[in-house]
Amino acid sequence: MRLVSLLIVASWLGTTLGIQESDAGIIDWHKLLVGVPLVDSTSAAPIFHRVGGKNTKSVILTATKQNVLAALNPVDGSVAWRHVFEPEDTVVTFEKQDTTVASLSGPGGATLRSFDILSGLLLLEKRLHPPETSLPLEPGHTGSSIVFTADSDIIALTNGHMVQFITKSGNIRWTWTLEDQSSLVIYTHVIATSTAIYAVGLAKSYSSYILHVAALSPESGQLLSTAHVASSVTNPSTDLALLTSNTVSRLAWLEQGALKSVALSASLKEKPTTIKGATYRRLLDVGLSKHGYMVAIMSDGAGRVFRLEEDGSALNNIWEFEGSAYNSRHSESLYAGGFDKIGYPYIGRLYWSHAFKFASAELLAPHLASGKGLVTGFSFPFDTYNHGVITHITMDAANPSPFTVLGRFFLTTTTGTVQLWQQDKLQWTREESLASVRVAEFVELPEHIVTSSHDRDEQFSERVRRHISDAQNFPRYLLNFVRRFATGSYASASSSVAAKDGSLSRDAFGFRQIILVATDFGKLFALDSSNGNVLWSRILGLGWAAEVGGKHLPVKIFVTRTVSDGESPQAVLVTQRRANNGLLDTTLFHFDALTGLDARSNAEKSKVLEGTDIPEAMVDAFMLHKDDTRVIIVLDELLQAHLYPDTDESKKFLLENGSSLHFPLQMNVPDGRQVVGHHLAEVPSLSGYLLARPTWTLSLAHGETIQSLVPAARGPVASIGKVLGNRTTLYKYLNPRTFVVLTDAVASELPGCGLYVVDAAKGTIIYQVSLPANVGKCDIRATLTENWLIYHYYDEDFSGVGQAKGYRMVTVELYEGSRADDKTQSSELCAYSKDNSAIRVFEQSYVFPHGISAIGTTTTKFGISSKDAIVATTNNKVQSFSRRLLNPRRPSQKPSSEEAEEQLVQYDPVLPDDPRRVLSHTYEVAKIRRIITSPALLESTCLVFVYGLDMFLSRVAPSKTFDVLDENFNKAQLVFTVLGLAAAIGITKPIVRNKKLREKWYQ
Amino acid sequence: MIPFILHLLGILSLLFPVHAVDVIGRLQWNDVCPGLLELGPSKVVLDNGRRSGNVVQDGSFTIYDVPTGTYILSVLTHDFVFDQLRIDVLQDAIVEVRPYLPGTPLNPPVPNRLQYPLALTPRTKHKYFVPPDSFNMLGMLKSPMVLMMVFTGAMVLAMPYLMKNMDPEALEEFKEQQAKVAKMQSAMTNGDFKSGFSALLPAGDEAPKETQSSSTSTGTSKGSQGSKTRGKKRK
Repeated sequence: MRLVSLLIVASWLGTTLGIQESDAGIIDWHKLLVGVPLVDSTSAAPIFHRVGGKNTKSVILTATKQNVLAALNPVDGSVAWRHVFEPEDTVVTFEKQDTTVASLSGPGGATLRSFDILSGLLLLEKRLHPPETSLPLEPGHTGSSIVFTADSDIIALTNGHMVQFITKSGNIRWTWTLEDQSSLVIYTHVIATSTAIYAVGLAKSYSSYILHVAALSPESGQLLSTAHVASSVTNPSTDLALLTSNTVSRLAWLEQGALKSVALSASLKEKPTTIKGATYRRLLDVGLSKHGYMVAIMSDGAGRVFRLEEDGSALNNIWEFEGSAYNSRHSESLYAGGFDKIGYPYIGRLYWSHAFKFASAELLAPHLASGKGLVTGFSFPFDTYNHGVITHITMDAANPSPFTVLGRFFLTTTTGTVQLWQQDKLQWTREESLASVRVAEFVELPEHIVTSSHDRDEQFSERVRRHISDAQNFPRYLLNFVRRFATGSYASASSSVAAKDGSLSRDAFGFRQIILVATDFGKLFALDSSNGNVLWSRILGLGWAAEVGGKHLPVKIFVTRTVSDGESPQAVLVTQRRANNGLLDTTLFHFDALTGLDARSNAEKSKVLEGTDIPEAMVDAFMLHKDDTRVIIVLDELLQAHLYPDTDESKKFLLENGSSLHFPLQMNVPDGRQVVGHHLAEVPSLSGYLLARPTWTLSLAHGETIQSLVPAARGPVASIGKVLGNRTTLYKYLNPRTFVVLTDAVASELPGCGLYVVDAAKGTIIYQVSLPANVGKCDIRATLTENWLIYHYYDEDFSGVGQAKGYRMVTVELYEGSRADDKTQSSELCAYSKDNSAIRVFEQSYVFPHGISAIGTTTTKFGISSKDAIVATTNNKVQSFSRRLLNPRRPSQKPSSEEAEEQLVQYDPVLPDDPRRVLSHTYEVAKIRRIITSPALLESTCLVFVYGLDMFLSRVAPSKTFDVLDENFNKAQLVFTVLGLAAAIGITKPIVRNKKLREKWYQ
Repeated sequence: MIPFILHLLGILSLLFPVHAVDVIGRLQWNDVCPGLLELGPSKVVLDNGRRSGNVVQDGSFTIYDVPTGTYILSVLTHDFVFDQLRIDVLQDAIVEVRPYLPGTPLNPPVPNRLQYPLALTPRTKHKYFVPPDSFNMLGMLKSPMVLMMVFTGAMVLAMPYLMKNMDPEALEEFKEQQAKVAKMQSAMTNGDFKSGFSALLPAGDEAPKETQSSSTSTGTSKGSQGSKTRGKKRK
């Protein structure tokens, strides 16, 4: 008996779940993202780079808002490579030459890294100054700059006053630091020539800056000379340019609209000159400053191209773009510089024509037309209602014949879209705002509807005719059926579910769903869960704030109508709108989940999705759901409950059901943040709104403040208890009002972190634990589902003998009563019953192999399958951990027969790190912030969607796919066996009959 | 003079209150992982990643400004397994390295020391995929279920012939045995395992007793001889 159960356990453990290599990319998908390019500073903005001679390979390099340095392949828009920086190590600038790209990151540009430009291999990592000594410079990229010497050595200016020469191999040859640091000179630019290295800085005077130049020896880093340039610059970020042409360099700046320049020489004795004739507004570095080109915008908006002559004597205006002055018919122009294969520079201009609704580009090739300059142009249909406004361009060019110039433009838009246009053809689009998803939600798809043509009140004769006409298809159907029965394969749990015909309907098992995601860039997407493609996307309209500008921050998304309600599913997105004039209010977008159309009216598609405004900033929002009625309640800062839809029915519904509504809110109090329980008043206030009233406050220790609230994951509960080996039952504690509070007391006398499981109605603490803070930070991840709580933290303390530092995963199960068989019916118990706090806690702590950035549990349709824990680890994996291993009742000794019957395995402090449980297998799924799960129609299977920098979706079956035929179920074998048996019966039947007959005769 | 220097040192130590050391090391490329291209972007971290250094092309890494203390060093990488190490940064900028096994106590430290600068070797590459369980005729034949089925099938076919050739005494014994098995089976289906087994066990016990009482070879040979003769007589 015992042996048998042991054998069962052994066989159970032996069959590890895992992904087969053939399933990779079919049951899962991974979207590798880099984030929205940084466009504010030219030193980190996207730029083309070409490597090699004529058989060249090019990449688009960019630093992004997600703190990534990335190279995109311009041919297909794929990510050639990326380097993800640590959050405290923000990338501030990068510079490229030949096959190397170097970056400075961290405060003041403390760390230098260099990468191979095609493969992304890290060649060098060097700390240039301790980050603690960095000066507070604003914006972050001032005071850091990189320049390559002709020999590909690196000269780095960091922290505003330190210049270092770093050789290719990573050795620092010399360091020069500004001795007199009290002079308030901050160096912002550095250029290298063969004779000297110039650091150009600014010294603050009363209302403007005075330019300051230091010339250093390239060999030793000795200060050759230093000089103040007689100048007055008001805005250094737009009024300053440093040009180099061959061996000569010139510094140009704007002084009260006049363009002045001075040549740089080792002695720094040159006098500034002024270019007369026009007033300028700003200077643009279009990435060609090392070839002596820059663009100056005149006061009327027209763009002029200036070139530094090769002898360095003068700065000449070589071109003025026609029609580039400010105009109501088109937008302000954007300028960019680029090169062709040979290395000739080109300057591109791009503007949006309001009148014709397309984007126009012009390309200036200064070297063509025998040096007079040639301009070509084209227009392309940029979709501004889907991608927003173009904020940045970069380009490169090709010159296949003397009078043809072809351009490639790489665009970055306000919605985070990046696009590559080759002349007027769109090559590819990447939606990089998906790297900053705020909220996401699964929506089920409707079934495929087979259209039937007959109407209900047809005549008998018509019906007969229809049947006859339908019947002519019958032989074909029968043939197909037989063929399918004999050879065809059934849908299996590991097959692809992507629609071949592009129709929007679910598959047999409900693996195909819509994922609605809302991003920080004011765009809403619907993704196909079968392959991750964007089904539709809408820009969130700013409403009244469109005139002043503003931003939507998505807060929550609610599915207000599902497929089971009979019609197409709908959802409501709640956003906080922050207008540029400082006003904060709330907007609700109600849309059809299948099409993205506004669901409030059946009007034709408007250009952007408009919402319903609530003229108050919100505190929280939730959906009240009972039977078929769903009402969204938005609580504003005055704790008034706004309803959506705002109808009399929903008011009545709320008045009827609001009394049972209890919710915790985070409140700012002088001591920090506290959590306060609220419920809705029963009668409306004078203003007509129901007000939320505080009912309880979670009393925390002095100095302890709320970090976050983690709501419990809701889902169907299949069993309310667990039968033990000794035939007693533990009843699960299923109080539906529980939630987790994570607190932070790092600033108090007893630094630490706290985790509480609290009842929302009364504020009763059901479970509480104090955890160690690590280096002044609380980094606890927790999830609560049914009666199961798991949390993860880092334990630094190892002072006691036998202790060790490391990650810990604690699994906690809550059961009713104080003994086995105690039952309080906690799921239906009144919130104020005293039995609510009668609980029994089982907990066990494990050494966890990784740091994690997000945690979740699987959910299935009926909750029968076991729940696995899903974690996103810091080494870029999504991994599942079996519930069996996280059972807090694992015995510390060899399991007894009763325990073995419960399939408990012996406690082992280390949780095994099984690579076969890595859902994301070979994919690098970086910087995951959240894991959401959704049940499929199959009870065994659950969809897991994770997002952060990347997005990843896979299917998991925690209890294996017990409800569907196995992938390698041998149908032919079954058919042959059945046929064989039939044949055997056919053969033996007459034999047996004869034998029986003979027996009757001869007996 | 000396007190002055001591004084200066004191001031210096106030200026630099914590001794910070750059921890350096190198990953040793081997057959498991021949280079950074295979390794992918990786970091070497102390404890929970507060201090870290990226692995550069030649496998080396530097973790800057590590204050005195005890740390666990691990390699954060996607596809390969590395050992964890215990790093002690001492007051006088000395770095001690010891092996460390996750889940074992950090305190007291193990006596054996490893070399510094660190040398880390890739141990294995993660295998994420399970091999597909393909259809295997031989494997299927090897499975006990199939073997049992084949045996039963063979017995069904062979039984009438065997029965025919059996002598009545052996037949009776066989029938008795069969009845016992049937009883056990019915007990099993009723869930009464104990009586089921006990029904079978005496039968098992009896057999060795018999063999013990009389010498095995003679007993069986006699029986078979007897049956043969009787069979002849009947003919």
